[in-house]
Amino acid sequence: MDWKRFGFIALIIAVLFTIVVLIGGKSQPAILIISSMLGTTIAVATPLTLGALSGIYCERSGVVNIGIEGMMLAAAFFGWLGAIYMSSIFGFQALPSLLVGLLIAMLTGGLFAALHALLSVTFKVDQIIGGTVINILAVGVTGFLNRQLFFEKGSIFGGQVPHGPGTFTTIYIPIDKAVNGLCGLLGSDCSVAAKAASDVLSQKPIAMAAVLLVVVSHYILFNTRWGLRTRAVGEHPKAADTVGINVTFMRYANVIIGGALAGLGGAYMTLESIASFEPLMTNGRGFIALAAMIFGNWTPFGAWSAALVFGASQAFQIKLQLFRELIPAQWSFLQNAYVVGMVPYLLTMLILTGIIGKNIPPAADGVAYEK
Amino acid sequence: MKKLYLVLTVLVLAALVLPACGPTTPDCTKEEVFCVGLVTDVGKIDDKSFNQSAWEGVKQAESELGAIVQYIETTDAKDYAKNIATFADEGYDVIVTVGFNLGVDTRAAAPTYPNVKFIGIDQDQFEGTIDNVSGLVFPEDQAGFLVGALAAMMTETGKVGGVFGTDAVPPVWRFGEGYRAGAAYIDPAVEVFVVYHSDVGFDKTFTDPEWGAATAKSMIDQGADVIFGGGGKTGNGAVEGAAQAGAYAIGVDSDQYYTLPNAAPRLLSSAMKLITPGVFDLIKLAKDGSFPAGNFYGDAGYAPYHDLDSMVPAEVKAKMEEIAAALLDGSLKTNVPPVKP
Repeated sequence: MDWKRFGFIALIIAVLFTIVVLIGGKSQPAILIISSMLGTTIAVATPLTLGALSGIYCERSGVVNIGIEGMMLAAAFFGWLGAIYMSSIFGFQALPSLLVGLLIAMLTGGLFAALHALLSVTFKVDQIIGGTVINILAVGVTGFLNRQLFFEKGSIFGGQVPHGPGTFTTIYIPIDKAVNGLCGLLGSDCSVAAKAASDVLSQKPIAMAAVLLVVVSHYILFNTRWGLRTRAVGEHPKAADTVGINVTFMRYANVIIGGALAGLGGAYMTLESIASFEPLMTNGRGFIALAAMIFGNWTPFGAWSAALVFGASQAFQIKLQLFRELIPAQWSFLQNAYVVGMVPYLLTMLILTGIIGKNIPPAADGVAYEK
Repeated sequence: MKKLYLVLTVLVLAALVLPACGPTTPDCTKEEVFCVGLVTDVGKIDDKSFNQSAWEGVKQAESELGAIVQYIETTDAKDYAKNIATFADEGYDVIVTVGFNLGVDTRAAAPTYPNVKFIGIDQDQFEGTIDNVSGLVFPEDQAGFLVGALAAMMTETGKVGGVFGTDAVPPVWRFGEGYRAGAAYIDPAVEVFVVYHSDVGFDKTFTDPEWGAATAKSMIDQGADVIFGGGGKTGNGAVEGAAQAGAYAIGVDSDQYYTLPNAAPRLLSSAMKLITPGVFDLIKLAKDGSFPAGNFYGDAGYAPYHDLDSMVPAEVKAKMEEIAAALLDGSLKTNVPPVKP
C-alpha cells in the first residue's frame, strides 16, 4: 500500500473539512457540518468510484477506456427506462422495477464495453478513437430515444414522462442505537453524535455497493489468479501468452466487467440519486473518474480515495456558499465558486508531477496485442 | 469486391437523387411562406424547462399562424453564430434564439440579415436598439420574489434554500436575488441559502441534475425545509432531490408540476416566466409587420399549488395574491438590479 499517497489525500480532505468547520462552526455544531459534508462527499464520490473501478479493470488488462462517460450515460438511460417500463407498463412494485432497472443498466454498460473490446482487442482500432465512438454513440442514442419516447406528442408515452418507481431507499444502519446505548452506560448523552454517525453510515444500496466493490476489486486484482492474469496481460501480454494465458479472453472479460461497473455508476444517477433521466446528465463524470483512477495510481483504494477528494471538494464548495455571510473579509475570494472548483484538478496535476510518489500505468496500457 | 463498390455507388447515387422525388420542403425564401427557426442554447429541446417552453411558443405559431417551423440544437457554444446563419441563409423570416448566452451572436447576425426578424429570449437590449432584434425579457426578480415570499411563509425551520445554475447569467442571478429579497420581505430573520453551480463552464452548469440533488440535500441537512431549484436540469435535480428528502420544492420557468412527476407531490409552486405566450406574441407581431424592436417584456408569476393546495393556509394564499398585485402595479419593488453589480 502506498501510505504516503493516502496520507496526502487524508490531509487534503481534513483541511477542506476544517476550513468549513472554522467558518460555519459559529452557526452550527461542528459534528452536524461534518456529517452533512461526509454525506455530500459520499454521494458525489459514488459514481466517480464506480467509474474509476471500471477504468482500473480495463486498463489493468491493457485496454484504455475513455468511453466510461458514454457507458454511464447509456446505462443511466436504459436502466431508468427499464424501471419505468416495469412499473408503469407492467405494473410492478417499486423495488422489483428498480432491481430490473439496475440489471439492465449493468447489461447496457457491459454491452457498450463489449463493443469497445471488439473494436480495440479484435480489430485493434486506436483505443482512444474507440472510446470516443462510444461516448458519441451514447449521447446520440439516449438523446434520440428519450425524445422519441417522451417528448413528441405522438411518442409512446404521449409527450408525458410517466411517474416512475422513484429511487432506492436508504438502508438504515442502527449505529445510533448502539452509540446511545454505550453512552447511556457511561452516563453521558451523545445523541447528536449518534445521529450524525448513523446519517453518514446509512446510505443507499449503490453507494454501499461501491465501497464494497473497492474492497472486492482490490482482493481480486492482487490476491487471486484472475487478478494476476489480468495484470499480466496488461503489463506484458507476450509473456502472458507464452505461459498459456488467453490474452484476448482476459481483455474481453475485464473490459466487460469494467463496463458493467460503469453501468452501475450510471444506474446511480437515475435509480438512486434522482428519479429521472436528463440528456447529457453524466456531465463529464466519466472523465473525472479517469482522473481519479490516475490519481489513485490504478489501484482500487487509491482511486476510491481520489474520488473522495473530488467529493469533499464539492461538499466544501457547496458549504462555503451556504456560509457565505460568515466568511471573514480577508478570505472573501473563497466565495467565488470557481476558485474552489479548481482544487481537485490542481491536485490531480500536482500528483501527476510525481511529488508524492511515481504514477506508473500498466506497461501495455493502450497497446493492441499482436501475436 | 468490385461488385460491392458497384452496389455502394448505386446506393450513394440513389441517396442523392431520391430526396428530390420525395415531398419537397417548402421554400422559405418565397414571400408567402412564413418560416420560423429556433436555435437552442447548449442543451436539448426537451429540457423540460427553458428551451422546451420557447419551442412550444414556436409550435403554437405553427398551428395558429401556419408557420413552417424548425429547430437546431446547439451542442457547443462556438456554434451559435453558425446555427443562426443556417436559418438565415435558408431565408427564414423569424429566428428565435434561446438564452442569454446567444445574445452577442444574435446582435452580431442582425445587421447581416436585415430581412430576418430576431427574437432573443432573455437577451436584454440595453446596449442599444437594433431594428430587427427584439429581446424577450422577464422580471425574474419578481417571480423569484414571489416564491421567496411563499417559501418564507411556509418554512417551519426558518431556513430556506435555492439551488441555481450560474450567477454569470443575469436572469438566473435575478431569480436568486429576487428569492432572497422575497424571503426577507416576509421575515428578515429567515435564513436564505443560495448556491450557484459556478464552478463549471456554461456548457455544464445547467445540465447537472446530480449536483443539484446533492446540493439540495446539503441544504436540507443544514435545516432548510423549502428548496427552490432554478436553472435547467441542474434545478430539476434540486427539485427532485428536495421532494425526495420530504422538503417542499419550488420549480422554475414553467409549471414544473407537469414536467417533474416524481416531485409533483411535494411541489409547492413554480416561479414562472411565461415564455411560450411571449414567444408566440412576438412571432405574431413579426408576421403582422409590427415587430417591436428593443426590449419586450413578458410576464412572470407563480404556479398553482396543485397537490399541496390544502397545505397552504388561506392567509398565505391571500398574501401571495396581494404581493403579486403589488409587484404588478409597481407599488412594491424587489430592488434587484437588472444585472449583477
